[in-house]
Amino acid sequence: MNELWFDIMGAIVTVIVAFVVGITYMGLSRKITARVQNRKGPPFYQNFIDALKLASKTSAIHHGFMQHVGPAFMMITSIMSVLIIPVLRGNAWFVNLNFHGDLIFILYIMVFGPLGMALGAGQTGNPNSAIGVTRGLSQMVGFEIPWVMALVALMMQYHTTSIVDLMNVQIQSGMWLMFSSPFAFIAAVMAMLGMFRYSPFDIVGAPQELASGPMSENGGKYLFTLMSSGSIFAFAKLTLYVDLFMGGAGNLVELVIKTFALYLIPMLYGVTSPRYRTEQSIRWFWGWPTFFGFLAIIYAVVF
Amino acid sequence: MNYIILVVFLGGALLTFFAGKINNVLQDILFLASILVPASLFFAYVHAGNIFNLTLGGIHLSLGINAMSWLFALIVLGLGSMAAFYSVSFMKGKERRGYFYFNFILTIMAMTGILMSRDLVSFFIFWEIMTWSSYLMTVYNGKDVQTVGIKYFVFSAIGAYAMLMAIVVIHSINGSFMIEDLVRSFPEMPVNMQILIPVLLLTGFGVKAAIMPLHVWAPGAYSNAPMAYTSIFSGALSKMGIYGMVIVMVSLLSYVPEGYWFREVIAWMGGITAVIGTLWAIKQDDAKKLLAYSSIAQLGYIIVGIGIGTPLAMMAGLFLAVVHALFKGTLFLAVGAIERQTGTSNFREVTGLIRKMPWTFVASLISIISLAGIPPMGGFVGKWMLYESLLTSNHYLLVIVIFFSSTAAFLYCYKFLFGFFLGQEEKEWANVKEAPVLMVVPMLILSFFSFLLGTYPGIILKPIDAGMQYLGYGITQNHLWQTSVIFNTWGNQVVLQPLLYSIIAIFLFFLIFLTIKSFKQTRYVTTKDISSSGEVPKEHENLTFSVDFMQPFMRAVEPVMRRQIDKYYTGLANGLEALFDFMRKIYTGNGQTYAIYVIVFVVILLLFKDILF
Repeated sequence: MNELWFDIMGAIVTVIVAFVVGITYMGLSRKITARVQNRKGPPFYQNFIDALKLASKTSAIHHGFMQHVGPAFMMITSIMSVLIIPVLRGNAWFVNLNFHGDLIFILYIMVFGPLGMALGAGQTGNPNSAIGVTRGLSQMVGFEIPWVMALVALMMQYHTTSIVDLMNVQIQSGMWLMFSSPFAFIAAVMAMLGMFRYSPFDIVGAPQELASGPMSENGGKYLFTLMSSGSIFAFAKLTLYVDLFMGGAGNLVELVIKTFALYLIPMLYGVTSPRYRTEQSIRWFWGWPTFFGFLAIIYAVVF
Repeated sequence: MNYIILVVFLGGALLTFFAGKINNVLQDILFLASILVPASLFFAYVHAGNIFNLTLGGIHLSLGINAMSWLFALIVLGLGSMAAFYSVSFMKGKERRGYFYFNFILTIMAMTGILMSRDLVSFFIFWEIMTWSSYLMTVYNGKDVQTVGIKYFVFSAIGAYAMLMAIVVIHSINGSFMIEDLVRSFPEMPVNMQILIPVLLLTGFGVKAAIMPLHVWAPGAYSNAPMAYTSIFSGALSKMGIYGMVIVMVSLLSYVPEGYWFREVIAWMGGITAVIGTLWAIKQDDAKKLLAYSSIAQLGYIIVGIGIGTPLAMMAGLFLAVVHALFKGTLFLAVGAIERQTGTSNFREVTGLIRKMPWTFVASLISIISLAGIPPMGGFVGKWMLYESLLTSNHYLLVIVIFFSSTAAFLYCYKFLFGFFLGQEEKEWANVKEAPVLMVVPMLILSFFSFLLGTYPGIILKPIDAGMQYLGYGITQNHLWQTSVIFNTWGNQVVLQPLLYSIIAIFLFFLIFLTIKSFKQTRYVTTKDISSSGEVPKEHENLTFSVDFMQPFMRAVEPVMRRQIDKYYTGLANGLEALFDFMRKIYTGNGQTYAIYVIVFVVILLLFKDILF
């Protein structure tokens, strides 16, 4: 029984860490974007204030049952992925469900939430939401291809589908996978640009066209849930990249440094880019990123 | 016992057909009885090993069951019983009920017969009964008989003749029709026969399994048959092709050196089928067509699994076959329910049914999640095993192809749910009611099983394991399955139970957090009461989004969609038609013309008699 309580406490700690780190990154990204555009920008803790404000609000209307369920679906994805992806190496508090799922499972649990949230967005009847969803799903087909190719290359090369095993490979050989499988890393990072939905791939929310797309009918607690789920999910994805390509992290400071370095890539790429159309975005991912994915697979097979 | 079941089916079919002349209720009861009684007899009394022999006109016929065919019989009779309950309600008030019931029972009988056949002659006879009864169902509506019916018929005929040729060839070599003899003698056959026989048989089975390029009949036939029947058509009947393929791929081809190439080619054909089916499914505006193309794609996955043929891949293929029967059966039934309640199955016409048909929505939602392969549903387990088997057997490009197809499948999954249930609620559909209980309950039962298999796949993996051991897979012990843990050959695992519990815990926590207060505080408003750039839309404004739903994606893949195998077939058919037109100029059907031919022939004969003789 004690073990169960320990597991549950560990899970709660993990989720809180993920929430705090993820939401700080979002605040920082607002600040950095503003500085690049020569504005002053909000303080980095602005997103905490926003989240607190949203959480304390009450909603007045709803459009039906799925609208309640959608954000809960989204939360399943975020929390499940942060529980399954190893946060720290060999720390008893962060073990969670690490050994219960593998990479294929992660790939599939990661789409559960967006699809569930899409259902919630669909019931509101707002055409902008549905358009945002179709764009998001289409773009997902785009960036999943190079991303899966990178993962397949890793899995083929090291004969495992487990994230923990891939981390151990890096510790044993003393070399990060981003150096020993460079093409896979390039393909995965290019896919990451689409995963984080900064410009030029922000076609889902598309502030000036779709009025924040799938989220447009959500306010108060719903928006808070979606927002916190987004930040937890961002942290989970960054941690997955760190685990796979940068040897994981021994303590939280190391993890924060590594994840933030990775987070800067889509953010800074986005600051200077205009927005693609959906089909341009899809074809972009099927161009160079897929080429690097092929190289990664060839590299994994030949060497 | 084996033949009694078939006799009960046949007798039931006839009785049901004629009972319609007396009383409709009697007919319904007889229909249910003639599906359920043989089904329960089957599961109670038929075991592997009891064999019934019959000699008919010098040909030795033999009926029996083995562990492999028992698995498929589970699909056929399980889905068949559910669809039978549904049909009773579905056919209420429709015309030609006797015709429908008769062919329904006959199809189930033929499929059971195929699974029981131990010799090729009875196999072929039942195969033809199945083809004929399904053809009659395809033209049940009397719509598009020229295009859809003929297409299905021509392809079935091609398949049947290929199979018949194979059977004749086998008999001329072996002198026996028994499948066992074929399996025994196949490795010693000459090489050209080792290639010819599988090619012919796979053509026959490939037509029913809708493998590319033999799939063009499927969208039309699936969408034209009544939905209560299509759930069997897609869920069970197509699995007969898979069953045949399993026999050919495993029992015959794994013992000869050419088998490797057959496997690779078939697996790649399956992969391409999956991609084509998915892309075309996204394009469809009619739910029936969408599901039909989706069936083609899903059968592609199954064929990939069977084609690869490692123990894990085989298990994945067979597990997907079972799960596909569950979720696709449910989805076709759901479309049938919607069509019955609203009169149409087109996404452009129907929207916003979620509040009117909640239970149909729940069943469709679970099945769609299962179809998309998302945990914790049964589809995920099948997909997981398929990926792992492709990875561990070094099919790194095929795994990308499959992944592309199954990611793109999310698009049509969402389209299906959004098109029918979500979006703007329109006045036109304000008075739609939920389907009758007898239609909803079978859907819910089937979708419950696809949920159950996602956490406890061991329930169905045990019979699959037994079937595979019958086929000669000795080494399934690598994946010695506990009820809810799945392994691959590299030793990686997914433990399903804690994952399910976590998912449920998180879901409930946030549902309570979001809803308990919200349900009290918030009030329901219509889908017209939304924020649209700060303006409140007027009552007459049309905000429904259903035309060109996936347009951006279709634009991105447009070059692929330009090529259609159907066009080549149409070109071939037009060419043949021109040839036949030319023949008709000679064979005019006019007696006088023929008389002239005869006279001309005699004159030529007389003129040249010195040279010729």
